[in-house]
Amino acid sequence: MAQAHTYNDKVVRQFAVMTIVWGIVGMSVGVFIAAQLAWPVLNFDTPWITFSRLRPLHTNAVIFAFGGSALFASSYYVVQRTCHVRLFSDRLAAFTFWGWQLVILLAAITLPLGITTTKEYAELEWPIDLLIAAVWIVYAVVFLGTIVKRRVKHIYVANWFFAAFILAVAALHIVNSAALPVSLWKSYSAYAGVQDAMVQWWYGHNAVGFFLTAGFLGMMYYFVPKQANRPVYSYRLSIVHFWALTFTYIWAGPHHLHYTALPDWAQSLGMVMSIILLAPSWGGMINGIMTLSGAWEKLRTDPVLRFLIVSVSFYGMSTFEGPMMAIKTVNALSHYTDWTIGHVHSGALGWVALISFGTMYYLIPRLFGRELYSLRLVEVHFWIAMTGIVLYITAMWVSGIMQGLMWRAVNTDGTLTYSFVESVQAMHPFYIIRFLGGLLFLSGAIVMAYNLWKTVAGAKTAPAAIPAPAH
Amino acid sequence: MSFSYVLKLFIHPSVGWAAIHARRYSVAGVFIGHTLLFALIPAVAGYIGTTQVGWQVADGEVIRLTGASAGNIALLYYLAMVAGVATVGAAIHWMGKTYGADQPIGQCIALASFSATPLFLIGALQAYPVLWLNLVAGLPVLAFTTYIFFTGVPIMMEIPQERGFLFSSAMLAFGLVTLVAMLAVTALLWGTGFAPSFTS
Repeated sequence: MAQAHTYNDKVVRQFAVMTIVWGIVGMSVGVFIAAQLAWPVLNFDTPWITFSRLRPLHTNAVIFAFGGSALFASSYYVVQRTCHVRLFSDRLAAFTFWGWQLVILLAAITLPLGITTTKEYAELEWPIDLLIAAVWIVYAVVFLGTIVKRRVKHIYVANWFFAAFILAVAALHIVNSAALPVSLWKSYSAYAGVQDAMVQWWYGHNAVGFFLTAGFLGMMYYFVPKQANRPVYSYRLSIVHFWALTFTYIWAGPHHLHYTALPDWAQSLGMVMSIILLAPSWGGMINGIMTLSGAWEKLRTDPVLRFLIVSVSFYGMSTFEGPMMAIKTVNALSHYTDWTIGHVHSGALGWVALISFGTMYYLIPRLFGRELYSLRLVEVHFWIAMTGIVLYITAMWVSGIMQGLMWRAVNTDGTLTYSFVESVQAMHPFYIIRFLGGLLFLSGAIVMAYNLWKTVAGAKTAPAAIPAPAH
Repeated sequence: MSFSYVLKLFIHPSVGWAAIHARRYSVAGVFIGHTLLFALIPAVAGYIGTTQVGWQVADGEVIRLTGASAGNIALLYYLAMVAGVATVGAAIHWMGKTYGADQPIGQCIALASFSATPLFLIGALQAYPVLWLNLVAGLPVLAFTTYIFFTGVPIMMEIPQERGFLFSSAMLAFGLVTLVAMLAVTALLWGTGFAPSFTS
């Protein structure tokens, strides 16, 4: 069959497989550093495996390696299927795959060596930042180029979300990473003081908003209706909440800088925009839940649907928790405590990871032309993951609030009631519970990897033909 | 009395739910027969725990609340639990339409209230307010609560089991959101001068 009449699924397969690999690597590092917090002896007094160096490795691995690969795989799959064309360029698509893997490899080498810009979620030094920018611009060219040469008039809503994610992340990365290099592995930010902090959190929060939200909503808008075998509950709502989300998210960053040197009006603006953000976020949740709710007859035979339902529920919960925590009075208690870590993980484990798992269970058997090896194991994975998330989040809620209360407790003479180390000591049991929660979640991912391995082992892939558009 | 239902519910959830369903509770009936009574357990245990037993943070001295302050908190706690059951019941009633259920509000509140029974009972442990112990003991009980809730939805709402799973999941999301809202409200109250007073 001529290449032009088939989809480019090779790059999708590559990214899908790496999603599983990086997921297990990134979560393993997470479990290890959770153990280090509970039992500091695990730092072994060795600089390159201390918590401080492995923590950015964990965040980069799960967000950019695991989440990023899942987004590349799903966006390349969705844009071809919904535009009825092959990707804009096979070579450029291959470049994004190998380039992205190189970025991850470089991160895995430089971060343990202590080479870091110190910007959270943007720790990689300038040579790697340049490579990321190059890969990302090529990604935009491949994705948007495919949309331009589409054979259907309409651009499906999932592609709007993917396109917003790609363009916004390009802008965020390039602006925030602007720096003056002094040597190959050392640079200084182009911004100074509070401006630097504001640019950093404009980037940081929109990494959450566009990388971890808009991109994964794109995933939701294709794979949820597909798996449920039903149309999107309200297409109009999907368009409205797309534009509302895009315009509101960009303003929410200052809530990371409450009670800092950032001007008070900017903090308040960030808080107000964060609260408004609840509405567009819930637009997506309602659309997802209502689409799935009509597919209840399928639930008996399809455990993959459970991952999708629960992921959308967690999306609703964490996008409610976020605005609450952005309220200054609540933030005064919650900021710098484990409550924040719990909030991030209810989004990361509950929403991002679960919807990615659901997507991979849909995608990988289809890409390799096989039936899923075991539905029973999918169910096992689901319940292990759920238990893990609940342990993780509740432990962090309790310990976070306790931490916040201990830090602000004062005696009648105005001195602090507790020293910092006393609060650390009080965290110990919760850190053990959190470690167990993480360990369970990782075990679930390993069950999935085994299941998918058995699914694809020995499979011979055939190119998929592009069907003619329906109209 | 509701005790026999509770016993049945714990031993064999679906039999217990069938009995509760057949009883066709009115709103007042659930509150008087079940909620108002069982919600007393955590409130009273919490009062005893915070005023008499007290807790220790990181080997520091034992902390207790003054009787008046703990009394206020226990009362608020009690009201919050009763209001919580009513809210969840109302939400079940409201969401029922989406999932093809049309049950009187009494049945919905009975579903919410009886589902919460294990949590009310484990609330007795608050007489011994060690945070991590309460969390470790509370989690399996929370899991059991979720289990009987998932069992109860199809029976009480008279809908197919698969549809019940979706309904229960949506309600679980609602419950989580309510929980987070309560955390935030507590932090707000605490931060605006309604902090409890400790004995010194």
